[in-house]
Amino acid sequence: MAVTENLFWYGCNMTRHGEIIRLSQRLLEAVGVGAAPVGGPGACCGSPKESTPRIAEGMADRTMDKFSASGANRVITWCPSCHMNLDDFMGQSKAQDFDSRHLCEALWERREALAPLLTHPVKTRFLVDRHVGFHNQVPVNDIIPGLLSMIPGAEHVDHPLRGASYMCFGLANVPGALPDHLRATLDAVRDSGADTLVTIFHSCHREMVGLERDHGVRVLNWVHLLAEGMGWDYADDYKTWRNAEDKLAAIGPDRVAEAGEVAVRKLVLPELERPRPL
Amino acid sequence: MGPRQRMVARHEDWSALRASETARMLDACTRCGACAEACPMLPYAPAAAGAAAPDLVRGVLDALTGGPSDPAALAWIAACTRTGSCNAACPHGVNPMLMLRLAKWRANETGALAKRDASETMSRVKVFARLGFTEEEQKQWL
Repeated sequence: MAVTENLFWYGCNMTRHGEIIRLSQRLLEAVGVGAAPVGGPGACCGSPKESTPRIAEGMADRTMDKFSASGANRVITWCPSCHMNLDDFMGQSKAQDFDSRHLCEALWERREALAPLLTHPVKTRFLVDRHVGFHNQVPVNDIIPGLLSMIPGAEHVDHPLRGASYMCFGLANVPGALPDHLRATLDAVRDSGADTLVTIFHSCHREMVGLERDHGVRVLNWVHLLAEGMGWDYADDYKTWRNAEDKLAAIGPDRVAEAGEVAVRKLVLPELERPRPL
Repeated sequence: MGPRQRMVARHEDWSALRASETARMLDACTRCGACAEACPMLPYAPAAAGAAAPDLVRGVLDALTGGPSDPAALAWIAACTRTGSCNAACPHGVNPMLMLRLAKWRANETGALAKRDASETMSRVKVFARLGFTEEEQKQWL
């Protein structure tokens, strides 16, 4: 972890989306906010282990100690689980020398610097996958359409649909809930005449990229769309892998070998090959 | 959107926080059931079908304090995805969303609800990092 004024706390499950981390860091830097990415198992909020709160607390405490030791003045969050745990538990039981913002808030605060950089027109009518649960803590459902609407040519298509939970991860664990949300989302795309579905969070992106292959709607994360407005190239590897017939071939033999083929077959392939909710 | 203040730790640890919040919730909640009536996830909890909303809340409070609860309330707790509609509906500032979350933790501890199997979560996170991060990024970012 580099010495820095700000940390960009991407969480743990975002390791699937390295390009979003890179683009987020680059966007922040473009508007004058230097931020070092930090995450993975060594900077966990405890959420994955909260069935055993004692273990979750230990992980969260270590993360707080790490943040404090970094000397950063601000932690910029990505993951709503991390953000809520920071507010509701971590910051309630550990002293902290930093404040926090969600990434979209950090960019919104600098929107006057961001707007003139969005010079590449992206002709699209986009619908944002919005959930109810996190909006009361950070108004993501308003800020993100606001940011994306600064891209020349990009038209936000408003729709009243709001999914339950705060991202698709929660719905995926309740039988029937995720397919219902995806069906409602596809209906909203059709009803509104959108050509692009924009995800806000990583777990939503994971669940929705399959719609691009099976239902013909382009699926991007909001950071991807901002990057396009900046004229930056990127590759959404997770979408490519999830939608490929041969996942291992799509990843490529060299990358599989570097990551460890046994581990990739045991831990990555089952996720990429899991049944599609729709 | 105002500036977010730095927090001052108000509790010694999570156990103290949970004990404090549990006591506050037990005192503040009138078992009116407005939270359950507002929940969009109840249709996904078949065992809770037909249960009266106040009874669901009583079952949640029982789980919160380490009791056995009942199948309907446990099904509601299990189906909670932290939508937050309950918080908007609660007339007494109980924070039912946190109440269900803490009840779930307690039910996991007592065995009333099975724990989520997260045994491979972090191993999977690491493999994805090896696939998607450069060596330098792995050193700097993890």
